[in-house]
Amino acid sequence: MTEPTTQHASEMLLSAYWDGELGAAEGQQVAVHLAACRSCAGRLVALQALSADFDKLPRETLGYDLAGVIEAQLPAAARPRARQHETRWWGPLTASIGAVASITIGIALGLALFGGAAVPRITAMSVFDTMPPGSLCVGLEACYDKGARK
Amino acid sequence: MDDAHDELAGRAQGGDRHAFTQLVRRYQDRVFHFILRMHGGRDEAMDLTQETFLKAFRALPGWQPEARFSTWLFQIARNATLDVLRRRQRIEFVSLDEYSAAGEAVDPRDGARLPDEKLADQQRMALLECALRALPPEQREVLLLRELEGMSYADIATTLGIEAGTVKSRLARARVAALAYYRHYAGEISND
Ligand SMILES: [Zn+2]
Repeated sequence: MTEPTTQHASEMLLSAYWDGELGAAEGQQVAVHLAACRSCAGRLVALQALSADFDKLPRETLGYDLAGVIEAQLPAAARPRARQHETRWWGPLTASIGAVASITIGIALGLALFGGAAVPRITAMSVFDTMPPGSLCVGLEACYDKGARK
Repeated sequence: MDDAHDELAGRAQGGDRHAFTQLVRRYQDRVFHFILRMHGGRDEAMDLTQETFLKAFRALPGWQPEARFSTWLFQIARNATLDVLRRRQRIEFVSLDEYSAAGEAVDPRDGARLPDEKLADQQRMALLECALRALPPEQREVLLLRELEGMSYADIATTLGIEAGTVKSRLARARVAALAYYRHYAGEISND
């Protein structure tokens, strides 16, 4: 196929060709057509010029370190969501630590004070208490009410 | 480079806040530039950039490592920006003349008053900025993600939640529209 086909490359085909997003066979067809068709080649040049202009567009920057600002806002941002019983990424982690700590402390206390026989009762209390031993907070509503809220 | 960012995102997801602030540093200007070009207003773009990262932090548990972090982040930035644009009912097509009348736009014809050596470049930049603002948001975003961010069609599709085929056709339409503005205003300048 050395002669230009009567059908010019569509805008979509030309645009995807310029982006390298056509399959090998389709890309080859367009390339062959472009080599023989001045009109389509001219349209491709226009697309290339448009992309070149985007490259020259001034790169606007924030002008300050947003990371510092974000860092300061992270705890405040996480707090209101806790009130809505939404899942927090650290929630399950804290709860797991609380549960493990409760059980461990319960077992340790049971062993230290009463020996093995007392273990089941104290463990059960620790697990189902609203506040785990050692004041390990598992994210109770009451805790967040104390927090500063706008 | 984005692979390293995905690794950082994985660490941030695991609770490493330092990893998250590193991500903020690496993406803040890219996200800001994208939002600024989408929205047009500098102050709001700054607010939206901050909002994007705070939203990203909250949504981090839902990030799937199979998805590129950059794609996921730009999705949040884009949604936040579109929300604002929708709220302000600026989602509809805004003509160049309306922008000029509001004093918000760069007038491509201003280039005619610049020194000769800078004229062509400055004019084209001004034309491009005008064309971008005049495009409907769905064409503008696809063009920005491709031309500024160099995203593949597949990544753009993921970011925008559309089919890759739609990216292909929308991008082609956006380019045709942008070039039509070039031609329209270039003609006007040469007729002045
Ligand atoms: Zn042709």
